[in-house]
Amino acid sequence: MTLQALLDALTLGSVYLLFALGMALVWGTIGILNFAHGVTFMFSAFVAHLVAEQVRLPMPAIVVIAVATGALLSTLTQLLAFQPIMKRARDYRTAEMRILIGGIGVAAIPLAVAQRISLGSPFGYQTSSYRAEVYQVLGLRVTTTGLIILAAGLGIGIGASWWIRASRQGLALRSIGVDPVTASLMGVNRSALALSTMAVAGGLAGLAGALLTYHLGAIASETGDTFLIKAFAIIVLGGLGCMTGSVLGSYVLAAAETVVLVNNWGSWVDAVSFGLIFLVLLVRPQGLLGRAEVRRT
Amino acid sequence: MTTVDDAPAAGGATVLQIEDVAVYFGGVRAVDGVSLTLTAGKIFGILGPNGSGKSTLLAAVTRLVPLTRGRLRCDGRFYDRLPPHAVAGLGIARTFQTVRLLEGRTVRENVLLGADVAAGGRAGRRAAAQRADEAIELTGLQSVQRLRPDELSYGYQRRVEIARAIAMCPRLLLLDEPTAGMNRQEREEISALMHRLQQERGLTQLLIEHDVQMMTDTCDYLFAMNFGRLIAEGAPQDVVRDPAVQEAYVGKRRSRHA
Amino acid sequence: MTTWYYTNIVLIQSTFTTLLLALSLQVPMRVGVFSFAGVGCFGLGGYAAAIAMTRFDMSTAESVAVGTALAGVAALLLGLLVQRLTGLYLAMATVAFTLIVSVVAVNGGDLTGGAGGIFGALGDLQTWHLLVAAVVVVALLAMTERGAIGRRVEAVRENPELAASFGINVTRYRVTAFTVSGVLGGLSGAFTILLRSTVTPDAISFHLIVLALTVIIVGGWTSWLGALVGSVIFVWLPSMLDFVGDWEAVVYGAIVALAAVFLPEGVVGLIGATVRRLRRVRRRAGGAGAVPAAAPDADLPDADAASPAVVPPATRGVTQ
Repeated sequence: MTLQALLDALTLGSVYLLFALGMALVWGTIGILNFAHGVTFMFSAFVAHLVAEQVRLPMPAIVVIAVATGALLSTLTQLLAFQPIMKRARDYRTAEMRILIGGIGVAAIPLAVAQRISLGSPFGYQTSSYRAEVYQVLGLRVTTTGLIILAAGLGIGIGASWWIRASRQGLALRSIGVDPVTASLMGVNRSALALSTMAVAGGLAGLAGALLTYHLGAIASETGDTFLIKAFAIIVLGGLGCMTGSVLGSYVLAAAETVVLVNNWGSWVDAVSFGLIFLVLLVRPQGLLGRAEVRRT
Repeated sequence: MTTVDDAPAAGGATVLQIEDVAVYFGGVRAVDGVSLTLTAGKIFGILGPNGSGKSTLLAAVTRLVPLTRGRLRCDGRFYDRLPPHAVAGLGIARTFQTVRLLEGRTVRENVLLGADVAAGGRAGRRAAAQRADEAIELTGLQSVQRLRPDELSYGYQRRVEIARAIAMCPRLLLLDEPTAGMNRQEREEISALMHRLQQERGLTQLLIEHDVQMMTDTCDYLFAMNFGRLIAEGAPQDVVRDPAVQEAYVGKRRSRHA
Repeated sequence: MTTWYYTNIVLIQSTFTTLLLALSLQVPMRVGVFSFAGVGCFGLGGYAAAIAMTRFDMSTAESVAVGTALAGVAALLLGLLVQRLTGLYLAMATVAFTLIVSVVAVNGGDLTGGAGGIFGALGDLQTWHLLVAAVVVVALLAMTERGAIGRRVEAVRENPELAASFGINVTRYRVTAFTVSGVLGGLSGAFTILLRSTVTPDAISFHLIVLALTVIIVGGWTSWLGALVGSVIFVWLPSMLDFVGDWEAVVYGAIVALAAVFLPEGVVGLIGATVRRLRRVRRRAGGAGAVPAAAPDADLPDADAASPAVVPPATRGVTQ
């Protein structure tokens, strides 16, 4: 792979990371597989687009709007759909599937709204005051957007992995994932923590959405769904419950997809994530960095 | 001190033989070399505190958990390589520690699930219905057989579990802590039921419990476990007074306080 | 009557094909297997039928047979491959399978017509063909919902360990359910494509998975009746609610979300629960004679004294 392709893969991986990290955070700690995460990503970018069409905004403002929208959407999803489901479910297994289904249902709503308003065409931030600058460094084509994405991805990725291992809140989160009942007996406020985790995940999705839209120039209403499957592949590849695994997985997937693109097998690109899901689940279900589970009856 | 001479094995047909069975989960030695023999028509018990490996041993015997070491024999034939669903075909039935009834079905239908085993075809259906009726009668469930599990008290749910297991017409019945959470009256009912099964059907039974009173009332022969090993066996009164068993439950004997 | 039939013929035929597709998800769900492979098999069956007809000049019946059989075999192999996966992981693996089918279709060159798909695969299917197929399938499935098999299927779903200890070969039930779901999906796909005469890779998308899932979630997944109710609702709803118009997708999404929260067993489940509750009320109102007074067996002490059999509603449900 050429150096340019490597740089592109790193940039793409960083976007994947920001998106997947939110999902991994929620899934690995409070055990919710949020199927509305993809739509949150897309819709946050979309709302920022709508605002940008009315007011000429600089990039930071757009990003803030997207992050806020994402956080709000995820919080609402948790409050209106997931929490009620968990309260009514008999056991964890049924709750799991119902949350999956509830997420799918909830996701249809913003998707339809976006499709209706955008009338099927892609949307971007052309009206924003930000203009990407392109540099030639060491023969490589580097954009300011790319640099921002790289910095955000790596920074947040490493920061989140460290935070969840080192901080008290991180410990509290991980304890919920291991044993929710004991965790609450130990004073962990499960619903508050779950809500804030979903909000953070939503914010991360919004950030990823805004940055990707800047990077590609425009995204479509359906982009969220594709990302959702990729995020699943990343989390499964890295190992559930391990943030560092998701960081690693993001870059591995991006690299694999870039290889496929560079070799002109473009139409097979999506199959990379699908194939990875299959492969990992069958060959090494705990992922690259996860630990194999030993189950006691 | 209990001796092997007390074992009722002498003169009875062997229903189950557990030979040096060990079950390790990674580093945890849940069962660490247990050997015992069950002879026909008697009520056996395995006594032990929580975590002593009793339930794991049961899971191993019913092939729900793989053996790390050892062999299992039913009627003299090895069966430790069979899949879990073949165990019922050997005539071994079990109840579970947690109530596992089909919530959406009536008591009768739950019992029929057991009666269906080894049933098939037209004649099979009638025979199954008959087996279910007998099991329901034995356990005194006639009046509630059309109700659903969530309409029954815990004690009655437990009885449905037992009815379901005996509807299989098994040769060996394994009961995993059937009286957990029951009061003394309910315990006595279960004990009486087990004696009836022994008298009317000659059913061999193995009871796993940690309630000492229940064990001494019900069992003909007792095994005691701790830390995955057998620490004593013999007549219930003797096993209960065995110092190793007392230590497992009460702790080491300390010097008297003033 | 006949004018109504001809005006709505597309909807009527759609109801049957949607029913088969919904059943392809429902059958594995009844066994506790969360598989969306039926949708992938819809694609396989549809493409296989279209290819058989346009590239190999097979008749309608032959094309349908080829499509269904191929889909069934694929599902069987997939089922064997993923047997050790459960829950969410299994669900996602089957989603991945379905989407892989779509990607393969895009890259299939001349055989699959690439991104443009295949056209001109018009079969001479009549509504009564679909009706007969649906009736046969429903009859067979209904038989597996009652009696001994019905109980065993429920045991496999609710508690596989329990099922195994009662002699049920859990793996065999699961793989069989998988295969049946493939056959049903393939049949639905073959019928749908030969009616439409074209098939493109977009037909096999996540959106189709969502649609099929919506049908059984809302209708009810516990029985074939739920799949039928759901199919009728979702095929006929748009024409009934004209005002919904462009916001149809929003309404669907909202319905699915509401059903996931409030109606876990769908419309059919809700009706069933209501009927049962009415029966219980009638039974209890019928007098305390419904509660066992004394056990007819002399050996068993009077249960009611110490442990009443039937628990009054107030104290029930404290088990967890």
